[in-house]
Amino acid sequence: MTSLREAEEELAHALRTIEPHTRYAEVMAESAEGVRLRHDKESTDPVPAPRMRGAVFRAWSGSSWVETATTGLDSRSLNRAADGLVRAIAKAPGTLPPPGEPSTGDAEAATPVRESMFERSLVEHLEFAKTLFGWATSVPGIGNAIVNLGYARDERCFRSTAGARRFQTITRTSASIVPLAIENGRVEYDFLSHGGTGGREVLATLTEAKIREVALEAKALLATKAKAPTGSMTVLLDPGTAGTFAHESFGHGTEADQLVRDRSYLKPLLGQRLGPECLTLVDDGSMPGKWGSMFFDDEGHRSQRTVLVDHGVFREVLHDRETAAVMHRTPTGNARRADFLSRPFVRMTNTFVEPGEFTFDELVEEAKDGVILQSCTSGIEDPLGGNMQIKVKKGRRIEHGKVTEILPSMALSGKVLEVLASVRGASRSADFDMSPGFCGKGHTDLLPVSSGGPYLLARAVVGPA
Amino acid sequence: MSAPGSSADTAFRVAERLRGKVEAPWEVFGERLRRYEVHLNGGSVEMARGPIELEGFGLRVLRPVPSGLGVGFVATTGLGDEEVDRVRKAAEEFAPFGHSPAKAVVLPGSGGPGPASVESVDRALWERPEETLAEYVHALLEATGGRPEVVPSFGSVRVTLGEATLANSSGLERAYTQTLTDVEVAVKAFGGPEGAPPGEYWVNRRSRQLDPRGLREEAAEWAQRAQDARRAKAPPTGPQRILFPTDVMTDVMPSILGFRFSGAAELRHMTPKADSKVAADSVHLWDDGQFPFGLGTAPVDDEGTPSGRTRLVKSGEMGAVMLDLIHASATGRPDSTGNGRRDSIDFAPWFHFTRAPAPVTTTIVLEPGKGGTDEEMIEAAGDGIWLGQLGYAFPDDISAAFGGEIRIGYRIRHGKLAEPIRGGTLGGVLIAAPGDPSILGSVSNLGSRSVLSGHLSAPTMQVENVTVAGDT
Repeated sequence: MTSLREAEEELAHALRTIEPHTRYAEVMAESAEGVRLRHDKESTDPVPAPRMRGAVFRAWSGSSWVETATTGLDSRSLNRAADGLVRAIAKAPGTLPPPGEPSTGDAEAATPVRESMFERSLVEHLEFAKTLFGWATSVPGIGNAIVNLGYARDERCFRSTAGARRFQTITRTSASIVPLAIENGRVEYDFLSHGGTGGREVLATLTEAKIREVALEAKALLATKAKAPTGSMTVLLDPGTAGTFAHESFGHGTEADQLVRDRSYLKPLLGQRLGPECLTLVDDGSMPGKWGSMFFDDEGHRSQRTVLVDHGVFREVLHDRETAAVMHRTPTGNARRADFLSRPFVRMTNTFVEPGEFTFDELVEEAKDGVILQSCTSGIEDPLGGNMQIKVKKGRRIEHGKVTEILPSMALSGKVLEVLASVRGASRSADFDMSPGFCGKGHTDLLPVSSGGPYLLARAVVGPA
Repeated sequence: MSAPGSSADTAFRVAERLRGKVEAPWEVFGERLRRYEVHLNGGSVEMARGPIELEGFGLRVLRPVPSGLGVGFVATTGLGDEEVDRVRKAAEEFAPFGHSPAKAVVLPGSGGPGPASVESVDRALWERPEETLAEYVHALLEATGGRPEVVPSFGSVRVTLGEATLANSSGLERAYTQTLTDVEVAVKAFGGPEGAPPGEYWVNRRSRQLDPRGLREEAAEWAQRAQDARRAKAPPTGPQRILFPTDVMTDVMPSILGFRFSGAAELRHMTPKADSKVAADSVHLWDDGQFPFGLGTAPVDDEGTPSGRTRLVKSGEMGAVMLDLIHASATGRPDSTGNGRRDSIDFAPWFHFTRAPAPVTTTIVLEPGKGGTDEEMIEAAGDGIWLGQLGYAFPDDISAAFGGEIRIGYRIRHGKLAEPIRGGTLGGVLIAAPGDPSILGSVSNLGSRSVLSGHLSAPTMQVENVTVAGDT
C-alpha cells in the first residue's frame, strides 16, 4: 500500500494535469491508522482503526469550488480523480478569481511523542485497560465499567498550484472510563475522559483516585431520589460544561462562514461588549498537547490562537481563506476537513474560557442558591437563533452558599447572549481543564476538538434531561 | 421491483486471497461507494463534490480461545495482495486478545436460507445520479426560494450509491446495492414590521430516496416554522401532555431501544425482563429489517443472515431482543435475528466496512393506533403541546434518558394548534424500571398513520406528564 511520502510525486503530477484548467487547485492526501480498544466485564475488543488512505482534489472553477476524491494513492486512481475534477470545472464555468489568499511555502511538522503507543505491545495496552477497569469496579456496587483506549496517527500532505506544500503528522491518544451502577433494571453512570496529541504521556493523569471518585459518583446517582430542578436559576458550570458553552453555544456563531451566510446572531455584535470584564473566550489550534491541536489547517495556513471575546468584548471570528477575504481579515488557520472524504469548513480547534480570579468556594458562596452542572455529555449549536442547549450527566444543588445533594442529568438552555451577560465570575487557573471531544458541522463531518475552562458562574434555564 | 445488480467484487477478491490461509472462521465485508454532494449557500451552489470514490473491506476472524471466542477485526482501503496479507496477519494477531462471551459461531453458508427480497434502492438515483441530484437541488431551491422574507441559508444534499459484498469461510457470497441520501437545509425567516430577530428551521433527513415530489408543500411548512420561531415564546414549566410526531422521536427511539433491546444490553443486565411491562398497553414495537426503503433494510445483514422481523414489545410487554451471531451464541439462543450490522444510529457515516458487526436495530416500527389524523389527535388532546423539533434529543442509551431544547413547538388549546413556543427543555426516560415513570409507559394515544423517518416508522404519539422546563 503506497505511503503518503511515496505518493507525493504522483500527487504533484496529478495537480499539474489540473493546473491548465483552473486558476487555483490543491490536493490534500491523508493516511490514518491506529488502534481502538474497548473492554468491559463481558467482552474485550481490540480493533486496529481502519487504515484509510486517499486524496481529495479541490479547484476553483471560476464560479464555485469543485472537488473529487479517491481512496487510491496510485497514479491510476489519482489521475482518474484529477480527470473528474477537470470535468467538474468545465461544468461550472465562470470568470471570477479564486476567493482569498492561498497559503504558500513549504513546511513540515509532527506531534512530539514521548512514549509512543505504537511501540507498546497489545498485551501492554490490554493490561492498562484492565487496570483502569479494576480501579472502577473496586468500588462496591460497581459491577461493570466500560473502558475505551485509543491512539491514532494522522498524516496529511497538502500541495497547491500556488506552490504550497505542507506535511504534518498528528498523533492522538485518548482513554475514557464509564463505571456502571445497575440495580433492579435501573442503570446509572458517570464518566472520565482524557485525550490529547501525544503518546502514552497524555494519560499520565488517569489515577486510581480519580477513577474511584467517578465510580462513587455513578453509585450516588443510582441511589439518589432527588429530581432535577426546573426553571431559570443561578448555575455554576464545571470546566467541561463551561468549555461546551464556549464551543457549542458561542463558538459556532464565530465560524465566519456562518457570518458570511448571514446565519449568525453574532454578526451585528462584532466589536461590542457581550459580557463582563472577567470573560475571555479563545480558540487556539496551536496549543501543545491538546486534542484539537494541529500545525496547519487544510488550506495550508498555520493554526493559531484567536481571542474571540477579550475581557467581555467580542473581538474576532474564525476564518478560512474565503471568509477572511470577504471580511477583510487574514485566515486564522481554521479551515478543517474531517478527513479526505469530507469538504473543508471553518471549524474550531481547542476552545475555552480563560481562568478568572475567584476560588471555587467563593463562587459557591456567591451563588447562594442554584446548581452546579457537572460531567457535560454534549451540546448543540444554534448559530442563527442564539439559543443554547447543553446536557450534563449530573450536578449538585447549592443551598445557602453550600454544596448539598447530587442531582441527576439535566439540560441547560436559554439565550446565549443573556447567559454571557449574566456571567458573574470565573475560577482560577488551578481549576482549568480541557476535555476531548468530536464536533460536527450540522449533523456530519465529525472531527477532533477540545473545550474547557475554569468554573463559571452565570444564570440559565435548567431542566431534566 | 428488483434492485439493480452489483458489479462489485471487493469481498470476493479478498476472499480468494484468504482461502486456505486462515484456519479460524472468517468473513469479509466489502464496499464500493460513489458519492456526490451539492453544498448550498443561500440560493446558490457553493460547492459541487463528486465523484468521491471509496472502496475498502473489513476482515473478521473468529478464533476459539479458552475464555470464549476471540475476535480479530481489521479494515482498510488497500486492496492489493500485500495489504490483504497484512490485514489477515493483523486480524489473526488481534483475535486471541479479543474476547467475546460466545463459545462458537457458525457463519451462514451458501446452503442456508436465501436473502430476503427488499426495496432499498432509488432506481432513478442509481441510474442517473448526477442528473437526479441536480434535479432535486433545483426543485429544492425553487421550493425554498421565491418566498417573501424566507431564504435557504445553509444546506447540502449528499447521495451515495453503494455496492456491498460479503464472503466468508463457509462459502457464502452475497452482493447487493443500496442508495443513501442526506438532505440538510436551514430555512431562515426575516423581515417584517415588528423587527424581531431572524428565525430558522433546520431540517436533517437521511433516507434511501431522493424524491422532489411534495417539496413545495414541505418547504411551505419549513418557512412557516421559521417565521413562527421569530415570535415564539417560552413554554410553560411543569408536566405537560405532549404530542410527539415521528420526526422528533426518530432521534430518540432507535438509539435508545436499539441498545436497550439488544443482546449486548441483555448480557450486561440492561434489558427489561422478558414479559415485564415496559410500555402502555397500546404500544407494539418491532424491529423490521425488510421495511421498504428503511435505512437498515438489506437482503441480508452484515454477517449474511437474511433480514427479518423481531417483535420487541407486544401490548406493552417485553418480547425478544435483537441479536447478531455472537450475541445469539452468548445468550444461549440458536439464531441471529438478522441484526448483525456495521452501522450505528447516531452520527452514522455513509460507509460501514470500517466497523465490525454488532447487534444494531434496522427500522424500529411502532404500530399505529386508532387516534386518527394529526388534526384529530390535536382535537382529542384538548390542551397540551405539539412538539415540532428539539435542538437535539441527546438520547442516552445506557440510562434511556433523553432531553433537549424546544426549537419549535405549538401550544394546543381547546383542540387546536395555538401560539408557537421555543426555548426551555423537555425530557424524560423512554423506558424505565418497573414502577418508575417513563415516556413509553405514559403513551395515551397513537395516530392511525405511520411515517418513516430515519430508523423509525411510527405514528404521532401522545404522552402524558412529560417534564417541561420553561423560561420562568
